[in-house]
Amino acid sequence: MEPNNPLLDQYVLGLCRRKKPRVCFFPSASGDADHYVVRFYRHFSSDICDPSHISLFRRDCGPGKVREHLLKQDLIYVGGGSILSLLGVWRAHGIDEDLRAAWQAGVILVGVSAGSLCWFHSGLTAYHHDAKPYQGLGFLSHSNAVHYEEESDRRPAYHQALRDGMPGGYAASDGAALHFIGDDLHRVVLSRPNARAYRVEVAGEDVVEHPLEATYLGERPKLELAAA
Amino acid sequence: MGGGGFTMEPENPALDDYVLSLARRPVPKICLLPTASGDGEAQIRQFHATFGARACDAMHISLFRLGSRPIPLRETLLGQDIVYVGGGSMLGLLAVWRALGLDKILRECWEAGVVLAGLSAGAMCWFEWGVTKSMGAPATSPGLGFLKGSLTVHMDGEPARLPVYRAAVADGSIPPGYAADDGVGLLFRGEQLAEVVSSRPNRQALRIGAQEERLEPRLLTGSDRFGDEADIAEFRAVRSLRGR
Repeated sequence: MEPNNPLLDQYVLGLCRRKKPRVCFFPSASGDADHYVVRFYRHFSSDICDPSHISLFRRDCGPGKVREHLLKQDLIYVGGGSILSLLGVWRAHGIDEDLRAAWQAGVILVGVSAGSLCWFHSGLTAYHHDAKPYQGLGFLSHSNAVHYEEESDRRPAYHQALRDGMPGGYAASDGAALHFIGDDLHRVVLSRPNARAYRVEVAGEDVVEHPLEATYLGERPKLELAAA
Repeated sequence: MGGGGFTMEPENPALDDYVLSLARRPVPKICLLPTASGDGEAQIRQFHATFGARACDAMHISLFRLGSRPIPLRETLLGQDIVYVGGGSMLGLLAVWRALGLDKILRECWEAGVVLAGLSAGAMCWFEWGVTKSMGAPATSPGLGFLKGSLTVHMDGEPARLPVYRAAVADGSIPPGYAADDGVGLLFRGEQLAEVVSSRPNRQALRIGAQEERLEPRLLTGSDRFGDEADIAEFRAVRSLRGR
């Protein structure tokens, strides 16, 4: 849902088998912010998919119906915001189990920022001077870091957490998407040509970053042919 | 509050004035926690419309937006005279508070003498148990337990809650407690019920246990209004001199 850049949205829709995929948006991490829900419907309009959203803070249907709805989706898209609030609210409503059931049934799970962090084993909260480790849903056994190039304190905090025993994992800058199949990284795709992703892990006493090969989803500027 | 206040009866400031009158300072600092509504913009706007026009120093904290606007939570909340909790999802409210450590901070506030107020989910949260509709049908849900016992709200406005509450008290799955109509406020000093007030006539509260007892609220009147126009004008003048 980047402004004027539909590349990642098109990529995730392209992973679905159905021509008009069913896409359900979770804005929980933002407190179900109205502007975010509206933005979702602008980017995932009914011209290209069958969109819906679940607002846990303004809800009037029962939990059984949430699971039923999630299991019918092709794609579940989780918005950004507060990772601690997201996990807290999901666990209180039993959504963590609903999502596990959906994942096991083959529904594609995607998300941005907190909506990416949540799927992994662990990560760091974003509070600027006070990054703390938390346990995610753990569908993926790795750790995850986001906004990796954009926010200067994320990298040192993540390195320190890895030295302190957090499992190795994957870091992504804005515009870089990590695509997993099962627990394994399948590929990295980019909506911005300069975006980056890394495998980050402890080796001996150091933390090493392996830049990951990535595919830019947009058109590359054409190379000028040398005059014959 | 079983319901009422700025979100439910913006034309009737009686309960909000009553809350302000409980503060220890003449120009109280009051902070809204709109967490239960997911930091809903309408709730925040209405809070500032109501309290911005009164002799108080009003602010709110959106816990969902702390990432972009970090503030020291504990210091800020301990510096308030009143913490006012808005309505919404009780389950969501407590989940977010616990995830961020607000449960411990608010207990510190309470023990330090900060007035803790709220309506609906923001009222039930202080008790051991409440009745939430966060999962659809009404169901009992645990609160912070600063106050012993339980509370159910909107007794007149949402009648489906009361039978669920009565049954849970009767079978012992939750402790006895209170039921409040919209517009009714229960004031506790420490853990003791000190007063029952109402912003509208013909409202009631019940004490529900082995027996049921009807609690007759004192109807709030013009003399309970917080501050008067002259005070407000003076406060605004001082504030504008301070350049705020």
